[in-house]
Amino acid sequence: MAIDTEEPTAPAEPVDEEPGGSTARVATTIGLRTVAVVAGVIVAIVALGQAFDFMRDKDANRFLVIAVALAVGVGGIFVLFWAMDRAVNLLPQDVSERVRPYVYVGPALVILGVFLVYPVINTIVLSFKDKTGSSFVGLDNYNFVFTDPSMLRSIRNSMLWIVLVPLCAVSIGLIFATLADRLRRGEAVAKSLIFLPMAISFVGASVVWRLIYSYRPQGFGSNVGLLNGIKLGLGQDPVAWLSQRPWNNLLLIVVMIWIQTGFAMIVLSAAIKSIPDDIVEAARIDGASELQVFRHITVPSVLPTIVVVTTYMIINAIKVFDIVFVMGGNAESNQVEVIAERMVKWFFLSNNDGRGAAIAVVLFLAVIPVMIWNVRQFRQQEALR
Amino acid sequence: MRYRRLLAVPVVALMLAAACGGDDDDDSGANEASGDQQENTGTVNLMSAGEPEEVDAYQQIFDDLINSETDYDVEIESVGDFEEQFQIRAEGGTLDVAAVPQPGAIPDLVDSGSIVALEDMGFDIDELNSTLGESFVALGEYKGKHYGIPTNINLKSMVWYPKAAFDAKGYEVPETWDDLMALSDQIVADGGTPWCVGFESEGATGWPATDWMEDIMLRTAGPETYDKWWKHEIPFNDPAVLAAAQQFGDVMFKPGYVLGGAAATPDVPFGDAPLPMFNDPPGCWLHRQASFINASFPETAEAGVDYDWFPLPAIDQEGTLFGGELTVVGTNGNRPEVKDFLDRFMAEDVQCDMGGVQASSRISPNVNVGPDCYANDILADASVILTDSLSSGTGRFDASDLMPAEVGSGSFWTGMIEYMRNGPDNVETVLDNIEESWPS
Repeated sequence: MAIDTEEPTAPAEPVDEEPGGSTARVATTIGLRTVAVVAGVIVAIVALGQAFDFMRDKDANRFLVIAVALAVGVGGIFVLFWAMDRAVNLLPQDVSERVRPYVYVGPALVILGVFLVYPVINTIVLSFKDKTGSSFVGLDNYNFVFTDPSMLRSIRNSMLWIVLVPLCAVSIGLIFATLADRLRRGEAVAKSLIFLPMAISFVGASVVWRLIYSYRPQGFGSNVGLLNGIKLGLGQDPVAWLSQRPWNNLLLIVVMIWIQTGFAMIVLSAAIKSIPDDIVEAARIDGASELQVFRHITVPSVLPTIVVVTTYMIINAIKVFDIVFVMGGNAESNQVEVIAERMVKWFFLSNNDGRGAAIAVVLFLAVIPVMIWNVRQFRQQEALR
Repeated sequence: MRYRRLLAVPVVALMLAAACGGDDDDDSGANEASGDQQENTGTVNLMSAGEPEEVDAYQQIFDDLINSETDYDVEIESVGDFEEQFQIRAEGGTLDVAAVPQPGAIPDLVDSGSIVALEDMGFDIDELNSTLGESFVALGEYKGKHYGIPTNINLKSMVWYPKAAFDAKGYEVPETWDDLMALSDQIVADGGTPWCVGFESEGATGWPATDWMEDIMLRTAGPETYDKWWKHEIPFNDPAVLAAAQQFGDVMFKPGYVLGGAAATPDVPFGDAPLPMFNDPPGCWLHRQASFINASFPETAEAGVDYDWFPLPAIDQEGTLFGGELTVVGTNGNRPEVKDFLDRFMAEDVQCDMGGVQASSRISPNVNVGPDCYANDILADASVILTDSLSSGTGRFDASDLMPAEVGSGSFWTGMIEYMRNGPDNVETVLDNIEESWPS
């Protein structure tokens, strides 16, 4: 409540301070205010400390803990910005206006620093250490990453994901968006159907697709898998799809294409709709066929969007983990390893922090060029507008 | 005016802080590793990989038999991602006591100073050896000191069979390996399939195959060579290991022996593998798996009537394969009441009551705990075999849980899968590959 009544007077404050009063009074004021601010910060830190201790208390009432967490999280951020704004107001006006933007982005920068920059640096350091992170081993872990047969396979498989997922998802999405655009009725329904898988998590989708590929050998009950149902219907023997090397990699990639096509289609469809009608009409009047319109008008017009969608998918394909983890079985023996899956395996299942960190660094380095390309494309696109 | 309003903020915050933070926290962390024992803090936390319902039953036993008599409280905690959390707590110095299913983790923790030697806590190792079996206690030994107390054991060398149909056919429980093979041949001759085998277990696919291999290795090479094997004192492609792998292959690859064929075993989920045994007529007659597998049997199947088990017979030597838990003490548990708790934990009365818990199939490694303590006959019979093997020194722990993780939960699994898929001719290559993956 006090906060609300405070707000309107706040901006006026420095103004009515400046003209009146002797230097001595100003000095006292500033002194008092500094003390108040320092005291406020100390109290806030103590209060936060107490609140965190309370939230860690196992015997405390769960609902009270949630209430405190909400109060600290939501109220805390509000109070933080409000208090910092007040603190900036206390500074001389020319200083305060220059400081204010930094104060506003400050907390975000600190949080980024603590939760992003620090872990990255720590991971890089860890990647040069042994499995418990206690002594340096030089480049041993990187040597492992680029010589271990399973790691090499994971890099090969990841390349396969990076090429196939964007290629298939974007082409299918583009074709579908173009065709759906021509539908007189039912465009929304058709697009919704393609978009639906996007709403399913990777893990959920993997569980669905496991049922499609499900296999049981002779004697262990009937085959409930869709694909094996079809094979049996045609009078053929069922197949253990997910252990058919190397084709099982493609069967896993299909799942991600199934999820991502809807996304590509929706974004591309929006881009196609924004192509001015007069260009298309002019082309038609000049006698261009449908295919020519697609090749020479639609595709060039939506090219920037295609680039953005593709980079987004490349990054997702580099990071893919869930699908392989859920459907891949024993990834090493099925030879469906991917880089992110190897990272989890070495970090958490084999407790080898050094190797896990080295794989993480390689993954991180692999994403960077794509990110740079993406940002550059985005800037060019913005510049054209 | 304005100053007073400004001051109001810290004052309100101060009041909030006073209101929220009443409790004293019990400083469970931040105790550095040191030889000195600390004061009694009033609670002992036992970290367990058990399911919540098992753990609730154990807590009840601790409340009745320990907490009612002592000036501290024992709380047992069921931890979902046990292996990870255990490492974090042990290395962070917040671990009191943990029951660890993989003794292979112990050397690293000793080297990092995260766990406390039993000798330093005042335990008498000779006494532990006599009640819990020397071969089991020795698994917790590293650099001349002991770090783990065996508190739970389960039998792996069990062969399950559909008793009703088995008796109706006039088959007899085999006493020797030759009898077992003769029985298998008999079943094939009668038009049946003797063995149901399934090695699929998601990311851990292959582990049931390593159990098979270990069971045979223990019986062909003997306990001493078995110890050399998991300690890597003989290479993984040693002739003794090759002989065991070939004998394993003799069962798997013999035409008609395995339902669906050996090549399909990596695709059969291990929990589904025994199910054809309960078809009418049985799809298979024999299933080798540890004592927990009857939880996967059909609910209508009755122990002792529809199914039963016999110990996997000896081959050239006697041996019994088991798994289990070693209880280790973290640096935060170096306190007199923890020693008192552990003494009571492995004592006969607590162990006996824990064997009676229906929700689990827990067998006590304490050789003085009699078969009467267990929830059912299957556990009671298994406990007799286990205590015999612990007293006679022929019992051995699951080797893959003792080998380094790169092998024990990596190349050993994948190697066995390759073996099943590619057939008996590539057995040498499989063993060479596993040997090569052994970390130096």
